[in-house]
Amino acid sequence: MKFLAMIGGVFLGAAETVGGITIVFSRIVRAMFPPRFDRDETWLNLYKVGVKSYPIVIMTAMFTGAIMVIQSGQYVKQTGATGLLGWGAGYAVLAEIGPVLIGLMFSGRVGANNTAELGTMKVTEQLDALRALAIDPINHLVVPRFLSMMVMLLLLTALGDLFALVGGALTSELILEVDYRVFFHGVFEGHLLDEYFTGLCKAASFGASISVISCFYGLNVSGGATGVGRAVNQCVVTSAIGIFVWDYLITYLAN
Amino acid sequence: MTRRDSHETVPYGEIDTTAISDRAPRGEIVLDVKGLTHWFGDVCVLDGVDLSMREGEVVGLIGPGGVGKSVLVKLCCGLLMPDAGEIHVLGQDLLALGDKQRQELRTRVGLVFQNYALFDFMTVGDNVAFPMRQRGQASEAEIAAKVQERLSEVDLPKVQHLMPNELSGGMKKRVGLARANINDPEFIFFDDPTAGLDPVTSSKIFNLVRRTQEQRNSTCLVISHDIDRMRPVCDRYVLLYDARVRFQGTEQDAMASSDPIVHEFFRKGVVGRT
Repeated sequence: MKFLAMIGGVFLGAAETVGGITIVFSRIVRAMFPPRFDRDETWLNLYKVGVKSYPIVIMTAMFTGAIMVIQSGQYVKQTGATGLLGWGAGYAVLAEIGPVLIGLMFSGRVGANNTAELGTMKVTEQLDALRALAIDPINHLVVPRFLSMMVMLLLLTALGDLFALVGGALTSELILEVDYRVFFHGVFEGHLLDEYFTGLCKAASFGASISVISCFYGLNVSGGATGVGRAVNQCVVTSAIGIFVWDYLITYLAN
Repeated sequence: MTRRDSHETVPYGEIDTTAISDRAPRGEIVLDVKGLTHWFGDVCVLDGVDLSMREGEVVGLIGPGGVGKSVLVKLCCGLLMPDAGEIHVLGQDLLALGDKQRQELRTRVGLVFQNYALFDFMTVGDNVAFPMRQRGQASEAEIAAKVQERLSEVDLPKVQHLMPNELSGGMKKRVGLARANINDPEFIFFDDPTAGLDPVTSSKIFNLVRRTQEQRNSTCLVISHDIDRMRPVCDRYVLLYDARVRFQGTEQDAMASSDPIVHEFFRKGVVGRT
């Protein structure tokens, strides 16, 4: 009986979370048509989310490209199929590994920060103060974050993909002694444009998902500093699950 | 002894001890709460609370800690939704209003939070300017002038550039008061404006409450445990006890009451702190 109650509790908790996330998302959509969000706050968030994240994204992307090349390197050397190196690494990075790893990094850096920020505002009654001053926290805080995260993760992934290829090319040249021109020839001849756009589509979905999840947990914090810590933890876990679910759905639809 | 006419004659920090009963008769009812009931889980915080206030009135809301005073204020501001009852604020049925109308009503109501609730990512000046800026009905020059005026009223004319974490508790309370006042609200709720402050600063805060009311004829509901310092400020009192209104009336009414709990609260002067 206890086991059944536990399973029921888990399902109820999951339903509550999914329901809450859906409500936040529907309120975001409602605030966007017609646009009623704070434009200054949106610009500020675009800067905070995008400009401040690019160093870590570039680093992640370059290592991702390099790892892909090293992983496939020994088979390429054994078979002498150096022309496939660029295609193989490019395919994996553009369609899958790049958006997913950049998304996970973004969720840890920006999503967690967003939950902590909104959560702290909640426990210190700053959200109530906004509402008391006739300002809707969804319009003022949540929609700008949603737009910024979605747009910026898309742009950061576009940038990261390029740096991943640069990382791959450098590794192929320096470690595998395969000329970087051969590497890029493989990328371009591989007709990876579809994979590139699929990856960008994933990135935009990841950005939207991370923003809604992080805002949901931030807006629903209770219990002071401990509650904020718990919410950040839940945000990171749920965002990662969201990333993999979206990745699966888009990969399925694209193929 | 007559009540002083202008706030200029009462220097900041000095409490006017003129009898409240000398005040002019009040106007129409601006807050009308009927049968208000609110539960937190299995705990009934408010059980059929009735309360009404007239325009220009200053009412002290007292009661033991955790009795639901702040909850009542949040319900009256529309920050919480009650489980039962009616709330009419400034002639409007708060619970029947849509989001937009409720937002508009909130521009006419101010709230000073117990824990300041200043936006920690903005300077003091931006905090005070924020509600006016969001309304978008004034130029930056007008906003700057009004912010300066409001901060001067609370005796903080030179802190605009500071961040909230650089201020003391008393200064934060005063900034909160300036922010709540920036749009000239008709009704102001003060949620324990002197919590955690020393007696001198508490007196200053209560003096500000009274000055605010006098200058703009605002209606004020003040939560506090400090009856001694509320005396020069409040027209009458509401005692919340065991989730219900135990007493409503002037201090004289309280002293004439046969209820030992009412007596205990008023005789002690300072109501039991949380």
